[in-house]
Amino acid sequence: MTVTGSAIEGVNANPLRDFRPRRVEAGLLVMVAATVGAAYGLASFGTSEAIPADLGPFLLWMFGLGLVVHLAVRRWASAADPVLVPVALLLNGLGYVVITRLDGGLAALQSTWTAVGVGGFVATLLVLPRARILESYRYLLGLVGLGLLMLPLVPGFGREINGARIWASVGPINFQPGEFAKLALAAFFAAYLVDSRELLRTRLELRDLAPIGAAWAISLGVMVLERDLGSSLLFFALFVVVLWVASERWIVLAFGGGLFVVGALLSWQLFDHVQTRVDIWLDPFADPKGDGYQIVEASFALADGGLSGTGLGHGEPGRIPFVETDFIFAAIGEELGMAGSAAVLMAFLILVGSGLRIALRASRIFDKLFALGLTTLVGVQAFVIIGGVLRVVPLTGITLPFVSYGGSSLVANYALLALLVRLSHEQRTAEMT
Amino acid sequence: MNPRIRRLGIAFVLLYMLLFAQLNRVQFFGAERLQEDVNNTRGLIREFGRPRGPIVTADGVLLARSLPSDGSVDFVREYPEGDLYAHIVGYQSLNVAATGLERVYNDELAGLPVEQQFTSLGDLFADRDTTATLRLSIRHDVQTAARDALGERRGSVVALDPRTGEIIALWTYPSFDPNRLADPDGSAANAAHDELQSDPADPLLAKAYREIFFPGSTFKLVTAAAGIESGLIDAIGPVFAEREVYDPIPAGAPIRNFGGSTCGGDLVEILRVSCNVAFAEMGAEWVGPEGMVNAAESFGFNTTPNIDLPSPATSRFPVEFGERLADVDFYRGFEEGGDPSRSNGSVPIHEDSARLAQTAIGQNDVAATPLQMALVAAAIANGGVMMTPHVVVELVAADGSLYETIGSEISRIAMRTSTANTLADAMRVVANEGTARNLLVEGLDIGGKTGTAQIGTEPPKSHAWIVGFAGLPGEEPSLAFAVIVEATEGASEQTGGRVAAPIARSVVKAFFGIS
Repeated sequence: MTVTGSAIEGVNANPLRDFRPRRVEAGLLVMVAATVGAAYGLASFGTSEAIPADLGPFLLWMFGLGLVVHLAVRRWASAADPVLVPVALLLNGLGYVVITRLDGGLAALQSTWTAVGVGGFVATLLVLPRARILESYRYLLGLVGLGLLMLPLVPGFGREINGARIWASVGPINFQPGEFAKLALAAFFAAYLVDSRELLRTRLELRDLAPIGAAWAISLGVMVLERDLGSSLLFFALFVVVLWVASERWIVLAFGGGLFVVGALLSWQLFDHVQTRVDIWLDPFADPKGDGYQIVEASFALADGGLSGTGLGHGEPGRIPFVETDFIFAAIGEELGMAGSAAVLMAFLILVGSGLRIALRASRIFDKLFALGLTTLVGVQAFVIIGGVLRVVPLTGITLPFVSYGGSSLVANYALLALLVRLSHEQRTAEMT
Repeated sequence: MNPRIRRLGIAFVLLYMLLFAQLNRVQFFGAERLQEDVNNTRGLIREFGRPRGPIVTADGVLLARSLPSDGSVDFVREYPEGDLYAHIVGYQSLNVAATGLERVYNDELAGLPVEQQFTSLGDLFADRDTTATLRLSIRHDVQTAARDALGERRGSVVALDPRTGEIIALWTYPSFDPNRLADPDGSAANAAHDELQSDPADPLLAKAYREIFFPGSTFKLVTAAAGIESGLIDAIGPVFAEREVYDPIPAGAPIRNFGGSTCGGDLVEILRVSCNVAFAEMGAEWVGPEGMVNAAESFGFNTTPNIDLPSPATSRFPVEFGERLADVDFYRGFEEGGDPSRSNGSVPIHEDSARLAQTAIGQNDVAATPLQMALVAAAIANGGVMMTPHVVVELVAADGSLYETIGSEISRIAMRTSTANTLADAMRVVANEGTARNLLVEGLDIGGKTGTAQIGTEPPKSHAWIVGFAGLPGEEPSLAFAVIVEATEGASEQTGGRVAAPIARSVVKAFFGIS
């Protein structure tokens, strides 16, 4: 028995023996495994007209990962919301099936990343018996977050891939430090606002906001330098939402909205790639074979999918550039139809709902704001990329959490999930005692 | 803080509802519009992702089939006979819009129609090959004979069964190799298409049914039909005066015979020698505009023909001849002694009757496809009944059963049976004793009519025509045909018989299996 484990048991003995949420979770996980397993079989049947030889091992692997996650939650966060993990695993599994159908090589990598992500999930639960531990490391977290963000700009570490300098390489491994930076910064914002919240509620002065304002400005600046529009938007939303809820002042929203407009206009003026993105958003059909190609093809893919989809393996999602990452939603919409794409929307809405419920019910301010920040990150990120694919907002290259191919994104989102599970466990334990 | 968090929750719900609304727009309400967008090649890719049924001739020669491909698409279309059937079969191409039967029968070839997908309850569960094989009425031996006989002269050959409308041969030179356009390598297909399109001879155009030409003297069959239907003319009367020149009324350029010869006589005789002056007079002074237009339109002029090939051209005959001025008696009554008993005395003369006289011999504004002229001969051979022309006769399932049989259909009644019989007999005379003697094949009942349509070039060139029919003696004619050799050297009444008739003769011999 580990030290952390006994610590939890020592604090709340009673709710820990109540495994009802875990039984619900186990049931949901079995359903997820069955759904993803069936999808895997169908996708393989659709592309090669054969039941895949590795269906058995795949199902075992699925069940194995689900079991590890489930046991870890059962062991170290037994009271947590039973919906969070199954929904995340469903998204991950669905994404994996579509990636397999698109590119076998990427799928092999993605399954490795999933294992690493699950490892990260377990490790996060293990290392953090209480979320509030993070509260005391607020400035360190802020610095770590900014450091991670800036890593790609450091000569020797940074790599520019596909026009965005958001990659860092350490040895043989390339990763996107920004994915992890957002977790650190969410913790920093939450922790900082715990203290200054009371002040901010009565007077909104710049000097009280200086540290997070600086962190926010730096992160935005860095994102702009790295040409990572999606992440800029994400950090902006995170900052404004957390500050608004913490300060309980509408002026924050108005101010944030104003800043957003100014920032958007400025970057539109300054950067060609922003102008291009906006032009594509307004009329992708102006240059359907060039700039607009990706969006246009995604629209055609979704249109082909219709209500019920072409069937897994029966569509042509490979025509869309970056379909495994940014545009995986279009592939799902094509092959699973609106039934599938709407299900993905619902899944994210359920995640957001669960996350906000944790924020609502948490008794400690830090837990509230941290849960809020993490939820905002997932919810806004999914909205920004799905909205980009659907042409509701201009497209910004960013992954669809849990679904897209990408190691950094997957591992970071599993860590985010672990944090939400941890917060949920604490909140429910507190309610029960 | 909780009220804010709840509001945030509402905001998220609204944002995701916005996404859901847009999802409805893209995947449901606007899906059809997106699928039909010109930039959307997904339909094509899908089409090339599945096999299509083969296309075969009546005598079982394979004209098109799908072969599995390792390239950008799963299947490519192969046309083993190359250019010989390009104008019938057409092509299915990733880069260029499909044409020919590949276009008209796209769904059936691909196995899409519901009646092909579900022939029995078991089809709901089994994955059956639903593609259809197109079986054509075209006979490979006749088609080959047409190509060989025409050789490398620009022109067209159309042969069909007058009793059913089934097309036996349909050939235009120059043609093209459809395999080049079906190339899955898009740039190669595009290059081939560009090259073919810029070729002045326009090999892509199936001129046999998509281009119109002056029909020349072959049109005299229509004029003759109009004359007989008017009730004023039969095989032996009236006798048109022997003349060298026809001077139109009210005024206009005189019409002469080829080579300045003199001719005249009864209907059979003027048809036998293809007498311009007599037919000009017949059209302008015996039939008149109304009768000529009626007759031409009864034969299908000015109507797009109903054929199972895409975009057939409409043969045309002018319908406007200006004000009605007076009747024939007014102009001719006095110069010939004022005989009040002239049977054509009351035929109306219009401002443009001179033009009408020219159209009566297939010049001026008359233009017909080779298919149309073959249909004229077919209607005459078939007792005045014109059948709907078609090349596809059966849709056959992969297991050999029939999806559909395309039956014979009456297209129009071109004339009375008696008129047709009179004309058929006259055409037999033309073949046996007249300008179409080169048609004759021993042991067959053959009728024909030549045509030489001057196209006003210097040195003189003309379209050489022959139309006609052939059958076993004592039976109904089983083949009708039209041959045109475009812009051939020379212009005499013999040109059509000399140049075009031997080609038709080869086709007839191939059809009846005479070597």
